[in-house]
Amino acid sequence: MKADSKLRRIWADKVLYLLLLPCMAYFIIFHVWPIIGMKLAFYDFRIIGDNVFVGLKYFRELFSTPIFLNVLGNTLIISAMKLFIIFPIPILFALMLGEFRNGRFRKAVQVVSYMPHFLSWVVIAGIWFEFLSPSTGAINELIKALGFPAQDFLTNKESIRWVLIASEAWRSVGWDSIIYLAAIMGISPSLYEAAYVDGGSRWHIVTRIVLPHLFIPMVTIFILNVGFIMNAGLDQVLNFTNDSVNSKIDIIDTYVYRVGLVNGQYSFATAANLFKSVIGVILVLSTHFMAKKLTSKGAW
Amino acid sequence: MFRRKVTLSKVMIGFILSALTLSMFVPIMNLIARALSNPDKVHLLHGYEIWPRGFSLIHFQVVLSNSLVSKALLNSLFITVAGTCLSIFFTTIAAYVLTRKIVGKTPLMIFLIIIMIFEPGIVQEYMVIKDLHLLDSLWSMVLYRMINVYYLIIMMRFLEEIPVSLIEAAKIDGAGHMTMFMKIVMPLARIPLLTIGMFYAVAKWNEFFKSSIFLSSRDNTVLQVLLRQFVVERDSSALIGTADLLKNNNIAQLDFSSLKAATIVIAIIPFLMLYPIILKHYTSGVMEGGVKE
Repeated sequence: MKADSKLRRIWADKVLYLLLLPCMAYFIIFHVWPIIGMKLAFYDFRIIGDNVFVGLKYFRELFSTPIFLNVLGNTLIISAMKLFIIFPIPILFALMLGEFRNGRFRKAVQVVSYMPHFLSWVVIAGIWFEFLSPSTGAINELIKALGFPAQDFLTNKESIRWVLIASEAWRSVGWDSIIYLAAIMGISPSLYEAAYVDGGSRWHIVTRIVLPHLFIPMVTIFILNVGFIMNAGLDQVLNFTNDSVNSKIDIIDTYVYRVGLVNGQYSFATAANLFKSVIGVILVLSTHFMAKKLTSKGAW
Repeated sequence: MFRRKVTLSKVMIGFILSALTLSMFVPIMNLIARALSNPDKVHLLHGYEIWPRGFSLIHFQVVLSNSLVSKALLNSLFITVAGTCLSIFFTTIAAYVLTRKIVGKTPLMIFLIIIMIFEPGIVQEYMVIKDLHLLDSLWSMVLYRMINVYYLIIMMRFLEEIPVSLIEAAKIDGAGHMTMFMKIVMPLARIPLLTIGMFYAVAKWNEFFKSSIFLSSRDNTVLQVLLRQFVVERDSSALIGTADLLKNNNIAQLDFSSLKAATIVIAIIPFLMLYPIILKHYTSGVMEGGVKE
């Protein structure tokens, strides 16, 4: 009886299901199909005939390959650096911008600082190569003016990760500050006035009034960023890498691409990719529920 | 508002903000200046200058008359326009259906969330494109990541706000789902459509990694892939053309960095045109800065 009424409801909404059909077809072809295809990690790839099941062979191989352990380390280090170093920058930026409540200056800063977010990493790399150029770049002009020898930060193993951090911060600081700025703008002026009348210093106002208002977006964003630590920035690395520094910034994504699509070791690359995807799912799910518990706001 | 007097800390904050902003403004303006400079004077242009030395469109002429660049530009435009239209349309349709009270909504949503967080492998994505015979077809990039589940959820949140009474009234007037969708939902969802469409467009326009994998032939390359060749791999022969390089004629003597700059400027012009709309719609609340009372 109950099943019957369900069927009747489905039949009544047949147009809706029909509308959803192309969308579902898309998801199945472009997402489900490749995800199922990842079972290749447990098989030997054969051009002719069926693939042969080999169990965990490729995962064992993966974890005894020093290069994979290196790229796993690089991924985690670069992500952690981005997570901890870049995280406070948009907050500070919003706090500073909040000091200029009205006027052209704030608007000009906003218009310009949101822009890099929309540039592709190819374009950003082009800009940064000029910026860091040992012969004509602004940074090196400054270093030379101070009496030090010019540095090529892009081919130096010690500095390349910092170039990634700096360029990511440069790209995201403005855009990522929007959410904090909105929270600051939402604070009622009467709160400030009350604090001012009570003789509160600016420091007092920032720590006692502004920061508590930023707590929820801060916690949410930090936790959600933890969910993405397996993604250290494929597009960025591909554009900033070169032979002299690749061992320092080679990440799982670039490794999978190289081993899988360039060298054609499909099963091995898929094992690395599956490892990354599964850890990613676990991280995103756990951080989502954690954020939801702490702030009642999750990833979706 | 409170405390209008200029304090030392405010001056310092203003200085820091200005320095940060200039680090973004100057390099971008410098590229534009370099591309527009007179070829005879461009070597005088310093990295911190934002005004062209002399004026000439020769760099743009050379770059755009390069058949590789013009083809890549058209390909990028096609992928972005077709891709964004399809993305917006199907995202909104899916959001509309999923905000109705249909049987099986919960399993569908769980399915979509799994889709959102489980990233398919790049090897498998490549194989799917290959099996669909879409390798080296612009359609691979039009269809790739057509529906972003995250945007779909944002769209659903918005459609949930549309008063049920409006939809009920249309139903009583005998409107079918398609009419309702086109006549009521689409116009009401104008603003989120614009916002989401803009994100889709930026992602399509900027995608270079998947484009470089799926589109292998030179005829089907896109601007970002070509740009990478000029900017990151510093391949001047592709930009100027081997024939001109060998002849060492006027074109070969043009400054390579100016030609590069011109190509980058071409790649960011569509964004610069959209930027005011982005600011107006997406960030309007933050931009106006008015305090909500």
